[in-house]
Amino acid sequence: MIFDPNVILKHLPEIIQGTGVTLALWIAGMAFGIALGFLVATTRRYGGKATNVVLAIPVEILRGTPFLVQIFLVYYGGPFAGLSLGPIPCGLICLTVYSAAYYSEVFRAGFAAVPHGHVEAAECLGLSRVQIIRRILLPEMALIVLPPSVNLAVILLKESAVLSIITVPELTTTISAIGSQEYAFLEAIFLLAVIYWAIVEASAKLGRIAEARLSTFRFSAP
Amino acid sequence: MTLPAINVKKLVKRFGTATVLQDIDLEVPEGKVSCLIGPSGSGKSTLLRCMAFLEESSEGMITVNGEALGFFENARGERERLPAAQIRAVRSQIGMVFQQFNLWPHMTALGNVSEALKTVHKVPKTEAEDRAMAQLKKVGLENRANHYPSQLSGGQQQRVAIARALTLSPKIMLFDEPTSALDPELTGEVLNVMRDLAAEGMTMVVVSHEIGFAATVGNQISFLDQGRLLFTGAPADVFAKPRHPRLEQFLDTYLDRGASMLV
Amino acid sequence: MSFKLFFLLLKAAGWTLSISLVSILLGFALAIGLSAVLLSSKRLYRAPAELFISFFRGVPLLVQLLFIYNLLPFIGLNVPSVVAAIIGLTLCTAAYQAENLRGGFESVPRGLIEAADMAGFSVRQIFLRIKVPIAMRLTFPALVNEAIMILKSSSLVSVVGIVEVTKMAQDLASSTYLPIELFSSAALIYLVICWSIALIGRYTERALPGGVK
Repeated sequence: MIFDPNVILKHLPEIIQGTGVTLALWIAGMAFGIALGFLVATTRRYGGKATNVVLAIPVEILRGTPFLVQIFLVYYGGPFAGLSLGPIPCGLICLTVYSAAYYSEVFRAGFAAVPHGHVEAAECLGLSRVQIIRRILLPEMALIVLPPSVNLAVILLKESAVLSIITVPELTTTISAIGSQEYAFLEAIFLLAVIYWAIVEASAKLGRIAEARLSTFRFSAP
Repeated sequence: MTLPAINVKKLVKRFGTATVLQDIDLEVPEGKVSCLIGPSGSGKSTLLRCMAFLEESSEGMITVNGEALGFFENARGERERLPAAQIRAVRSQIGMVFQQFNLWPHMTALGNVSEALKTVHKVPKTEAEDRAMAQLKKVGLENRANHYPSQLSGGQQQRVAIARALTLSPKIMLFDEPTSALDPELTGEVLNVMRDLAAEGMTMVVVSHEIGFAATVGNQISFLDQGRLLFTGAPADVFAKPRHPRLEQFLDTYLDRGASMLV
Repeated sequence: MSFKLFFLLLKAAGWTLSISLVSILLGFALAIGLSAVLLSSKRLYRAPAELFISFFRGVPLLVQLLFIYNLLPFIGLNVPSVVAAIIGLTLCTAAYQAENLRGGFESVPRGLIEAADMAGFSVRQIFLRIKVPIAMRLTFPALVNEAIMILKSSSLVSVVGIVEVTKMAQDLASSTYLPIELFSSAALIYLVICWSIALIGRYTERALPGGVK
């Protein structure tokens, strides 16, 4: 079980490309997911009781089923419902919707965690509703939701490996292929693990730095 | 003159570079109520915790009924730590009541009071529970025996905590701000239990902001400020004619608020 | 879709459930050991446990499963793929559960231990009578969450050829051309199991006496 640097070097362009696809899908899926999740969370909070219940259904379904089953349903079931998607668009859509469900819960908890007294204090000082959201709720929420958001980001990166099962040409697909081609599957998988590990550790580190910076205005939690 | 129940000599306590207790000398008389008063951060809680060996002092000695607590002075005059079993033996004479009650949340009131008898002293379950029940009765909570701490009010929790300490028949009871975490209307029930205990002749050391309690029940008042023991004396000397300027200043802030309690 | 197909999915759910359950339990046992090492004051002991946890939390489960599935025969262990699957899930959940437990032990309030100290408890008695029960209650919700995560993640063992719910749905879909019905049914089965776990968890949690406030 020896790593031949030449083999890695030979396949470096593919590895970089696979990593690029993984990172692009991850970041895009997460960005859309955060936007959609925020929309869902605010609608559930301010849109009345009925809206809240109706929106809870898709969120709970997405959180209660495996990502793999969701992908299979869209990828294999889609064509039977007039929705034929290639692996990459299918992967991006699934990742977006999946992450939106989880991010909406993070934001919902964030809204709930801002002490009501802070909002009341702002109301007493005469701030408008929009000002309260912009100047009080959002900055305080940012700090509360940061740690779970970073956690979730890491989970999503790892879930993106599942996209290899529907042949999205991302990192796992690419490196498994190289492994089979070079008759060195075990080594290839090990390399794959190390690359993921490095990305995860790097993002966790970034998250901690961001948290340290934000927490300079940390309030004393109740 | 009998031997003091607790004797604190030249006690120093540092946290890192900060000195929180400086050269404390204090004798706690047996069968009496000694109160430690002073502003927040004066070191009174730390001193009490040193007496329970929950904090290890940096210098000096504490003896409990003549026995060294935690550290002893060896033949060459050096401070040396006692073996754990000996520390536990000396400590068994002391009962402690905490500001935050510290009841074990996974046990009922009865469980909290009987636990140490069963676990530490291997008393059979029924006997342990009978004895625990007797203590709960003493603090007026026999009808709350099967309640969990989360189902009790703060005052009730603190009374259970007192019963828990009392079941082990300590010779000395230490109270670390026992009413500070309570709503004002609940302090009375706890102070009453403490009054009863004092009337029975229990040796007590009480850290408290309840100046009224200190004035009426205390036999000896010690005033701490910035880690130093500035004054020890009878309540009359402390409250009627406070001579020390810092003590006077401290009392002023309290007299403003609760003057009626003192007269 | 015929009832017969749904029945096949239900039967496959037996694999999903048993593989998840075994992995959770084995993972819990391993996590106890790991968390004990994590709580050690010696950096030298902590370091390998921290490395293990960082690795198994930092690598996708799919990749872990592929690695273990290929590693076992390489080191001369020819075990059925179900064993490889259980090892993979166990190591992964152990890493997460160990972190939970460590957090739980660290958040047992100091005062509760001081109270036991004053009552003359030995270190061992404090551990068994105070720390363990309180840490278990504190970490119980996280354990329920983890059980749900593992149940969903068990869908990935289909890649090493175990015919649990997802794999069964996939196989049936390719022969019956009913992917929507089959994958929706699979999703429904997962939902029902996950919700049941959550419900039982919440009920049990409420029945447990006194959490720490």
